[in-house]
Amino acid sequence: MSENNYVMGNYAITRGAVESGVKVVAGYPGTPATEIVEGFIEYPQVHAEWSCNEKVALEVALGASLAGVRSLAVMKHNGTNVCTDIIMHLNFTGINRGLVLISADDPGGLSSQNEEDSRILVHTYANLPVFDPANAVEAKAMVKDAFALSEKTQMCFVIRPVMRVCHSRSVIAYEDFDQSQFPQAHWQDDRDRYIMSAVEVRELGGIKRPQARHRWLNAKYQELAELFEESPYNWIEKGSGDLGLVGCGIGYTYIKEAARNFEKTYPLLKLGTLPIPQKLVLKFLQGKKRLLVFEELEPVVENLIKQLALDHKVQVEILGRSGFYAPDGELTVPTVVAALSKADPQLVLKREFNPPKLDLEVPVRTRTQCVGCSHRALLYTLKRVARKKKAVVFGDIGCHDAGSFKPMELQSTIYCMGSSVPMATGAHFAGEKRPVISMMGDSTLFHLGLNGLVNAAYQNSKQVIVLGDNSTTAMTGFQPHAGSGVNLYGEAAPKVDLAKLGESLGITVHEIDPYELKKSYEVLSQAVEEDGVSLVIASKACFLRGSRQGVKFFEPKKVAVDQEECNGCMVCINDFGCPALVYSSETGKVHIDEITCVQCGICAEVCKSGAIS
Amino acid sequence: MKKDIIIAGVGGQGNLFASNVLCQYAMSQGKNVLGTETIGAAQRGGSVVSHMRISDEPIYSPLIPLGTADVLIGMEALELLRNLALLDPAGYYILNLYCVPTVYTNLGIDRYPSEDEIRRAVKKVCPRGVEIEATFKAAQLGNAQMTNVIILGALAKVDEFFPYQEIRNLVEKTSPPKFAAKNLEGFEAGYALA
Repeated sequence: MSENNYVMGNYAITRGAVESGVKVVAGYPGTPATEIVEGFIEYPQVHAEWSCNEKVALEVALGASLAGVRSLAVMKHNGTNVCTDIIMHLNFTGINRGLVLISADDPGGLSSQNEEDSRILVHTYANLPVFDPANAVEAKAMVKDAFALSEKTQMCFVIRPVMRVCHSRSVIAYEDFDQSQFPQAHWQDDRDRYIMSAVEVRELGGIKRPQARHRWLNAKYQELAELFEESPYNWIEKGSGDLGLVGCGIGYTYIKEAARNFEKTYPLLKLGTLPIPQKLVLKFLQGKKRLLVFEELEPVVENLIKQLALDHKVQVEILGRSGFYAPDGELTVPTVVAALSKADPQLVLKREFNPPKLDLEVPVRTRTQCVGCSHRALLYTLKRVARKKKAVVFGDIGCHDAGSFKPMELQSTIYCMGSSVPMATGAHFAGEKRPVISMMGDSTLFHLGLNGLVNAAYQNSKQVIVLGDNSTTAMTGFQPHAGSGVNLYGEAAPKVDLAKLGESLGITVHEIDPYELKKSYEVLSQAVEEDGVSLVIASKACFLRGSRQGVKFFEPKKVAVDQEECNGCMVCINDFGCPALVYSSETGKVHIDEITCVQCGICAEVCKSGAIS
Repeated sequence: MKKDIIIAGVGGQGNLFASNVLCQYAMSQGKNVLGTETIGAAQRGGSVVSHMRISDEPIYSPLIPLGTADVLIGMEALELLRNLALLDPAGYYILNLYCVPTVYTNLGIDRYPSEDEIRRAVKKVCPRGVEIEATFKAAQLGNAQMTNVIILGALAKVDEFFPYQEIRNLVEKTSPPKFAAKNLEGFEAGYALA
């Protein structure tokens, strides 16, 4: 029996894992993968959790697999980077019950700090098998197959959905399953595998275990390549001519969409697995002079086919991401059409389309904090303090990172999770004369920020660490964490006491309410003068989340700008930048958009000329 | 038949609710449906675009190729302009006359085009379209977040593929119970305005 549902690709992945009997799921929020973990809230038979970070998540999932149940780890590409160390061990040991890692990519960096291709880390580097889904329906099937094959081969399987698979919405068949048929946990030692250490292996003439396991992994890779010759995710579609197209994952989808507009049919090789099925690829190469490979995002498959052609002395020109078309950015149908027109000047389109040229410039829209957000008040105060004290502010990931863009341009750096505090420590010990401040959110603190915090305290660095604590992972849609007091399911959970945590490190701790501008200014100014590390905890729940739940944050104050009093000094726009404040170039003054304003009244305190009341 | 629809707006305008209603209807008619949205920065005032594809034939790409959208709904004027290249000149648009300034227009670095300039630019690409003051109407009715249901009402008026009664039923069914009556009021208002 099955039931059709119109759902997001992420929920198709969730459902695939549920139908596979997954017992333990661990992940860390990150667009585009977040909803996969949230989907498990509906399935109480599964233990699903928001782990503190992705490495912890994968280790939780590995522990569950070795204990005898199917498990899933979920993250976005830069989270997978955090897992590198455990990935480079579990690839050598292999696993027990099915272990699947979802590493979602964001080509184009639509919602990320960087643009990268997960396949390089998990496949090229770690030699793990990868499924690259062309759409959500295939992603669900791949999840189920990955669990089965993971057990068959003892390998952790990786599925690499891209943004357009995760965030697609399509009709997915939900099939029935029998929970009772899935095995229970039952730990069995296997020290030859699970103890990764430089011990001699008697049976292999005394070579060290890391080398022995490396040998195992190399053999396993060949076995997988063989296995994927029969994979339902790789196939050839017939066509005419000596130019062949290769569509990997969503690359296949875009080729099929573009092909509706072609007068002829090109031979097409659809690939969804790594390693690639070598015999199938060699068969496709027969009679071809040129091959054009479409993949997200790096020339991974392109290079593998080049190597294969070289090894088998096949004369064929292989074109793709390595320079024939865009080596960066997201694939699109127009990219496919443009690349194909370049490879085949005879290409005839059924319908030409030249996008109209607008004789009007369309302003870009950058993100900022929400109207009413306490981060804006905190950033405003911090900017005043930083300006007065001539401080350098190191930033971190989270909603507050938009303080580094115009108009505030407060933070001088944004790198990866938790990097702000150690970078500030480094700048201090470099001898930087200006005071150093770092700004981090609560979820980031628990992710990888703690290490930097402990290190700064241990090294007796002199710096201020501002923690913008809104009790949630707001950036990705309000996922709870170790400081929220609730778990994924909304049940009460132990809550880390941030002040006590700071005190236990022997550093100075301050607590402020970011909506109280004057008090916050005094505390932050004082903290900059203090010796050692000062932790300023600015706690206020996320306004967007709270206001949706009916939480009252402040007495609503009807705010208006007195057009006589406003002198157009722009302080409210430049240093505060609430989206409800609108500058009119005609009048040279600011007014409030009443539809957007939530009546927090903070801007009235910001205005120097008393025009806002 | 096929109907490719773009809904472009800024975070918090209720794109997802509107696209969900339309897809539910298309599915009930036995059509293939596929969609996607960019929601990364949605909660923080960024641009949000939903692509929604309805067809009798199989659909591959969740993204609508350039110049092939049959309907472009601009929940915000600038966002309509930003996505204009997706619209088939033979299609039509619905423009919500509502402007959300950007950080750069507020700073005077960029200039927010005037209503006339926007209208001219749009008409040059696509002659058919309707303008509606949905957000102002929603604010009048008590909640600017009802922009989406007002737009749905307008769509049901101008596009014969989406019949009034069926879309109205779906708005009622998919609204959270406490908002259902208010959403229906918005839907009717949109139908009347278009």
